Parts: sequence; structure tokens; C-alpha cells
Amino acid sequence: MYDDPTVSSGITADEAIELVQGKQTLAVSKKLSLGPLTKIHAFWLAGMSCDGCTIAVAGATNPPLEGLLNGQIAGLPQLILHHPALAVEAGDAFMHNFEMAERGELDAPYVVCYEGSIADETIAAAHGGYWSALGAENLGTDKRRPIPTTEWLKRLAPNAAAIIAVGTCATWGGIPAAAGNPTNAMGVMDFLGKDYRGTAGLPVVNIPGCSPVGDNFTETVGMILLFLQGLGPLPEFDELGRPAWLFRDTVHNKCVRAGFYEEGVFAENYGDRECLVEIGCWGPVVQCNIAERGAINHMGGCMNTGGICIGCTMPGFPDKFAPFYATPPGSTVSSNSSRVSGAVIRRLRRLTMQFQNQESRWEEDGHIPSGWSAAKKPSWTSQAMHYVYQKLQYSGTSKPGSGLVAKGSKRPPMP
Amino acid sequence: MCFKNLPIEFDAAGKPFLKGGIRDPYSTKNVITSVSEVQQMPYDTVRELLTRNGYIKDVDFDPVTRVAGALAFHGVADLENRKFIETRSMATLFRGYEIIMQGRDPRDAIFITSRACGVCGGVHSATAALGIEMAFGIKPPPLGIIVRNLLLSLEFLYDHPLHLFLLAGPDYSEMIVKATTPSLWDKAVRTKAPNAAFHGYATLGELMTDMNPLSGKLYLEALHMTRVAREAYVVIGGKYPHPETLVPGGVSTTITLQVFNEVYVRLQQFFDYSKKVVAIWDDITNFFYEANPEYKKNGMRATNMVDLGIWDDPDTYDATYENCGEWGEKRWATPGAIIDGKLVTTNLQNLNLGIEEFIEHSFYKEWTNGENNGMQHATDPLGAPLSPFHPWNKQTLPSPGGQNWREKYTWATSPRWDRQVFEAGAYTRVYNTAMAQKLRPNPFMESTGHSLKLNLPAAAMPEMELEWHIPEVWNTFERNRARAYALPFTALAAMNDWMKGLDLLKKGQTDVSTPFEIPKTNRIGVGFWGAGRGYLSHHMELDKGLVTNYQIITPSTINASPQDAWDKPGPYEEAVLNTPILEEFDKPENYKGIDLLRTLRSFDPCMPCTTHIYAGDHTVVREINTCACGVDG
Repeated sequence: MYDDPTVSSGITADEAIELVQGKQTLAVSKKLSLGPLTKIHAFWLAGMSCDGCTIAVAGATNPPLEGLLNGQIAGLPQLILHHPALAVEAGDAFMHNFEMAERGELDAPYVVCYEGSIADETIAAAHGGYWSALGAENLGTDKRRPIPTTEWLKRLAPNAAAIIAVGTCATWGGIPAAAGNPTNAMGVMDFLGKDYRGTAGLPVVNIPGCSPVGDNFTETVGMILLFLQGLGPLPEFDELGRPAWLFRDTVHNKCVRAGFYEEGVFAENYGDRECLVEIGCWGPVVQCNIAERGAINHMGGCMNTGGICIGCTMPGFPDKFAPFYATPPGSTVSSNSSRVSGAVIRRLRRLTMQFQNQESRWEEDGHIPSGWSAAKKPSWTSQAMHYVYQKLQYSGTSKPGSGLVAKGSKRPPMP
Repeated sequence: MCFKNLPIEFDAAGKPFLKGGIRDPYSTKNVITSVSEVQQMPYDTVRELLTRNGYIKDVDFDPVTRVAGALAFHGVADLENRKFIETRSMATLFRGYEIIMQGRDPRDAIFITSRACGVCGGVHSATAALGIEMAFGIKPPPLGIIVRNLLLSLEFLYDHPLHLFLLAGPDYSEMIVKATTPSLWDKAVRTKAPNAAFHGYATLGELMTDMNPLSGKLYLEALHMTRVAREAYVVIGGKYPHPETLVPGGVSTTITLQVFNEVYVRLQQFFDYSKKVVAIWDDITNFFYEANPEYKKNGMRATNMVDLGIWDDPDTYDATYENCGEWGEKRWATPGAIIDGKLVTTNLQNLNLGIEEFIEHSFYKEWTNGENNGMQHATDPLGAPLSPFHPWNKQTLPSPGGQNWREKYTWATSPRWDRQVFEAGAYTRVYNTAMAQKLRPNPFMESTGHSLKLNLPAAAMPEMELEWHIPEVWNTFERNRARAYALPFTALAAMNDWMKGLDLLKKGQTDVSTPFEIPKTNRIGVGFWGAGRGYLSHHMELDKGLVTNYQIITPSTINASPQDAWDKPGPYEEAVLNTPILEEFDKPENYKGIDLLRTLRSFDPCMPCTTHIYAGDHTVVREINTCACGVDG
């Protein structure tokens, strides 16, 4: 259990050797090699961001962030993260590593993780200013120029092993790129262009979501690292650079409420337990895995709790999904047709359930010994339909236990 | 009454009116009386000293790390006299949210403004929902209010440990203490921890070792607890940090006993955890005070703070501006303004009338030049006078430019209350509630006027009564200590709400939302609420069913604010000016700035919310806001 703080503190190899000296049963060795990389640097750049992706990633548990950072996951190199929200150093001391990376002086390869939208700094620069900056360079006494975050991306991109865009702002522009925005915001792919390749040969890897599921990020990073170690397959990415195994299906495909949709039953008010499409859910056309994976530690997930899908993983977010609480137009066709077919299916299922809700014993005895309430007896028509149903169910096979029943008795003999 | 500087008086019935006989009552030329007297050294004097004195040193932190968002800080330190002579706080990010909100369906504000801050986004969603409820004239059913309260308590149960051990905490760890004040570390190793029985560390040294980033047990435990709180949060909200289930008139969460169970299993873990956390921060604070009383001056500033309260009473809250004075005071966290250590009002209307935003040192243009000072609203909905600098009158006109320490240097604005520099924080919530004595009857929390008593139920640890006392001075250490007490305060407010929720289920009151139509007429509304870091308001105006103006004031905008129209420094700037340099260094080159960083981090800067929305073409811009999330520099 990675998430248990008590197991994460660890001991150093030297301490371990000291601990086991004189004992036969435990010994520290250095024979195994699970790949060529022992460490890799990660530079986290936050452009026009809300830090929500950072927070989401800090919540990840598969694998957990601290497991990667502490190098405590066997087979994976230690991830040396240069992140403004987590760093011990501040100011120039913190920025020093960025400069070393740019000059190619680091002792290991690096990746760049970009959170937030890319600002069009040419607009701000025309007025001598900036939209979003990180660090500053000295221009002589008392004069410092804040360095736009976008400039850092440009400086670090050429020698990065890979660039990972984290969250919908970095992947597709997100909310800062919504209609009316003054900064001409865009995603990393828009900024670097289609020909960009990291030194590992990959175009920009996109992990969308506002904010993304933290596990989607750490899992993708983990899988890329396993590939680089020669241990794992090349992870599959779709035509937009999304991890295919995470974003192939729509969120509706695996929605816990999709069964209500199938039966044509829809929530009318906020808080209702049925399918949310009629009160604004875009799930049937949105590629996302949150219903299946949950938001954190496999808990939560938008529709699982009653939240509509607003399409936050999609390149069209937010404008193509707004106004969010209006019923998506597509549902007039699809949900009305599911209302029609669902009405039939639902009735047939309820009929079957009437019988599946009874022990065989109760059927034979003709009564249900429940003290809760009087269970309704199936009508003659229902019983007739059920007879046909059972014939179909056991055609070509036999009813379980039928060979054991003695002639003339309804129940198997007592041993 | 409560205003000393604003031209507002009260009649015999307590109704506010504009003081007569003043030609330009809201002019920034008018003289004000200020509580804080801290002065920056004149700009030119500082420049002169910088060139000829080796001990006068530029101390620039860009970025300030271990804060949320983009904050940079410029200081000039006098390393000989061990003090700061010049300070400037900079928010280094602008995103333009305000124009993005313009012309949209008001319900979308719940989703869009949440994205202003990813550290605590749910508070923005909730504040937007409250403002919309006021503008629409609807109120949620009791269970809807309770579930919303629970969600926003769980958010803070994640947020407080994050601050105490992941962001600010490392400044008190072995790693940092040893590197910046070796003598203090030697002392810590030899000092027995008075609260050892509650946190398990025999000495301060052992405690500090476990606060080391990434390796320390307390650091990792806090990370774990942030996840525990967030697991409970997503059971209600779907995801974190941007929840999916807040709606005008309540929540869209499907409430079952499973929700109540899964939330409680996690909530109750914070009872024991709170006991431990408070014990730790009491020990750290007392250790520093005893080791060197000068630490009491770290981050010291006038006790000016404002909070809007949070966690509504389902029996009183009706979403109206008319009754905001009444329902505001029924909140678990009492609203209030404390000026110079005195609680001057707990009335939300007064708190609203007192707030103004200034941009003399920010990258924006004036909006008060037009006819009638560019005012849209001369009065609030109750007829009380509004300033042209009030959010309901404000427009955001961004104007990026070069940094100039004498003129404009930040994307944050300067919010002021009654033209006083004030600060916001989770600690403000604790402070106000302790002073106000307005708490509704409940088994867990008691306000005494000079302290806040918190009764934590037995879990693995025995039942304990914790008591937070109003401190003698207001400084870095007291901010952190009060933040530690904010943890049990939050957990117990949630416990009260959880029990009330069960009671509603018993009575069959299971509705969580109220149906509504979007009104097509001109409406104004405001959400009064709080972020993890305190004060949060969304002011909005709607017309023809669409948003025409949206203004957010966030706590980090307040705390990271630059100098104002009267050249009074913002809270970070003021607190650093008061901070003695106690760091141990052999020569100026090796000076690290730990005292300054401790000061800044004690406010828990969170800059992402410091976002602004403006209407294009540099013509009409309305500011959506600045949460400290983006302002910390």
C-alpha cells in the first residue's frame, strides 16, 4: 500500500547494511539491474494555470507521487522534480537547475511537464510587460526582467526527452482560451507545432482533464519510464497524443448510471439517482475514464456522485459544452429513442426480477417468509411468461440439481 | 460606528447613510487614519544605499516557492542592522477570466470560476452559487445547505495539512533550521517537547526531523491526510479541485447513507489528527519564542483582518441581501472585521459596504474617470452608499507594463476595508469566531470572547478540549498556530453539519436542490464565503439572463496586495518590513532569506485565483478577480 505514510520513510543502503551485519537471513546486494536509468529530472512549468493539475497529481496513488520522487518503486528511476510548489529552495537557487538544463549540464535526462495555458506573450510584450512569468534575469543594478513561462518552454523543449502537457489548459488551451480571452491562450501542441519531437522521439504527450485524474498522469509517466527501461511496451497514444488505454472510450461507456440510460430513465432534478443526460451531462460524447477510475484512490468520479459531465477532457472545452446546465441537443434523438426501447426492456427485466428475487424453496412452498412486507405474487400471465423464459434458459442443458431430485419429491434427499 | 475613514454613518435604527457635507466623499485625496504606521524607506535613499553599502542587499525571490501559484517578492535587506528597508510583492500572472465570464449563462460561473484556483476551487464554485442564488431569489433546501457545508469543510481538511506540513512546514524542519540557524538547531535537539505525550516526539529536534520534506514522517502523513480528506470530498463533489455537483439552489449529489458513511469514516480521522497537529504547532511556536523572543516580531503587523464567515445555518440562510446580517452571524465561522485588535462589526452588509479595490500600483487602468465616477450603483440593494471603488462598481482594465518599484509592479490589486490594510486567512475565521460569541448552541465549539474552545471526541486518543487563545501579538507564528487550530475547528463544524444532516434524513427532508427559472431582468448578487485562506467574495450583475459584470476578491489578492492609494504597503510588504533578520550567515553572499520566506508562507499565499477577466479591446474590463492564488510573489 503505497499510500501508507509509515512505509515510505525508508532506510538508506548503508543503514540497511549496518542493520543486518552479523545476521544470516538478510543482506543488501546490488546485483539486480532493472534498466539503464537510475534517475531522471522533471521540470514542472506552470503557465496560465490554477495549480489544480499539481494538486491532482499530488493526490495520485497509482503510483503515488512521493513513490516516484523518493525512487522507491522498483524498476522505475527516481524522478527529481523541480516544482515551484514543492521545492525546498526559492528564487534564484530554485531557478539554477532550469538554467543548467538549458545548458545541458544536468547529470541525467530531463522531461518537461507543462501545466496551464500558453499565453501569447507578444501581446503583453508590446506594452513592455508579460502575462505569466517564472524567475527573472538581472539586467544590471535594480533592473530585473521577469522571464515568461512560455520562454522557458521554448528554452527547454529542444533537449527535453519528452514534453508532457498536463491538464486541459496545457493540452488544448482550456478555460483561459475560452471566447473573449485577452491573452490569446493556447495549448502546448499549438505552440510547439506538429513537427516537435522530444529526444526520445515522441510528440507532445497530452493528458487532458480539468483537472486530470492524478493517476492518469503518474501512470502514464510510469509507463513511459518502464518503456525506457526496456521493461514495458511502448504505450499507445491516440491521434491527439492521449494515452489510448485511458481515453479510448467515452465516459458514458463505463458510467455507473449508463444502465438507467439504457432503460430510458432520466434524472429530472439535481440530486436524482438516474442518468444525468437530460440535466446537462455530455458523457456519451466525451472521452474520459473518471467514472471507471474515480477521482482519487478510486473514489468519486463526476457522474458516480451526481455531477454532470461538462466535457472537461475535450479539445472543445469549455465553449462547445456551454451553457453547461442546458440539455445537450444530441440527447433529443438518443434519449428519446432510449425512452422507447428502454420502456420495453425495463418491463421485461422487472418481470424476470420478480422470479429471480425468490429462493427456489419459496416457489415450492408458495410463500415468502419475510417479515418486512408482503411480497407480491406473480400474476398468471407473468408465470406463463416465466415458464417460457426458463425453457429458453435451460434448453440444451438441464436445470441445476435436477439430476439429484428423487422422483415424487420436490427436494433432494437429506444425506 | 464601524467606519472611521469611509463617509458612512448610521441612523438611530442602525441604517447606514452617506455622511453629508463632503464634496467628493470617496476621493482618494481624502485624509485617512491608519492603524499601521510602517513606512518604506524612500526609493532614492534605498538606491543610494545599495550602491555604497555592501550590507544593503537586494533580496529578490522569483519565484517564491512552496506557495500556490505565481508570486515573486522583492526586498532590500539591511544585513548589518538586520532588517528590511524596502519590500514589494508581485503577482506574476494574469489570465483574463473576467471577459470570459461576460455574456455567459450565470450558472456557468460555478464551473468557470472554480478554475480560478486549483488549490481550493470548490470555494469559488460555492461562492458563485451563493451569488446566483441571491440574484435569482432562490434558496436551497436544508439538506442542500448541509451537504454544501460538508463539501467546503472537507476542502479545508485537505488544505490545512497541506499548508502546515507541505508548504510552510518545511521552514521549521531540520533541513532548513540547521542550514539557516545552526545554533537554533543545536538547541532544538536538546529541548524536550512539552507536548510529547500528544505527538510522540521527545525533543523538538526529533519533531523537526520528521518535518523534513519528502522523507519526514509528518510530511508524508500530511500528504496522506490531504488524500483522506479529498476522498471524502469527491464522494460529494465528484472530483477535486473542481467539483461537479454545486448548483444554484443546492447540490446535485445523490445523497444516500453510503455518502454519509464514507464521508464520516474519513472525517472522524481528523479528530485524532487535529489533537496531534495542534500539539506540534504549539510546541514549535513556544520553542521559537523561548529560543529568541525576537521571533515574535517575525511577520508582525497590526491586527487588522476581515472575514465573511462560512458554513451556513440551514434554518436561517435564505440567500437574500436583505437578511444577510442575520444569516451571516449564524454561520459556524462568524463574519467580522477586526481593526487594531477590536471586532468592529459582524454584519455582512457592513462588511460589504467597507470593501474597495485600488490599482495605483497594479497593471490596470482607472475606471472611475467617467461621469459620476463611472458608478453603476450608487447604493446597495438596501439603499446604503457604495464607493466607486466597490466591486459592484468596478471594471477591470488590464494594462500590462514593465515593472517599476515606484509605480506599477503587480497583477494584484489593493483591496482595503474602510481604507485600512487588512489580511485574510483561515486564522481570521478562528479569530473572529473566538471574539464574536455568536456560535449557535452545539456540543463541540464555544466562543468565549477571548478564546475558542474545541471539544474533540474520543477516537484512538481520548476526548480532548483544545483552547485557542487570542495572542498578544499577531505574527508569523500565530498565523501558523491559528491555522493548526483551524483544523479541529473545521472538523467540528463538519461534525455538527454531519449530525444535522442525519437529523434531516430522520425527518425525511431529503431534497438537496430547488428548481428555478433564470430571471431575464437586471439583477445583482454577491456570494459571501471563504477560501482555504479566508475572505472570498463574488460580486455579479446579470441582465437578460446573462452575466454583465463579475468581480472576485480573493484572500491572496488581499494579502499580496501592493501599496494603495495612500502608499500604505500591502500585508506581505508590511509584515516583511517588521521582520527582524535572525538568520545566521557568515557573509552577505550566503544569506538565504529564511525569515522573509517564513513570513510570506505564514499567509499561505495562493496566487492562481488572482485572475482577471476583462472585456476585449482594452475598452471595458471587469475584473473577475484575484485570489491570493496568483499573487504571491
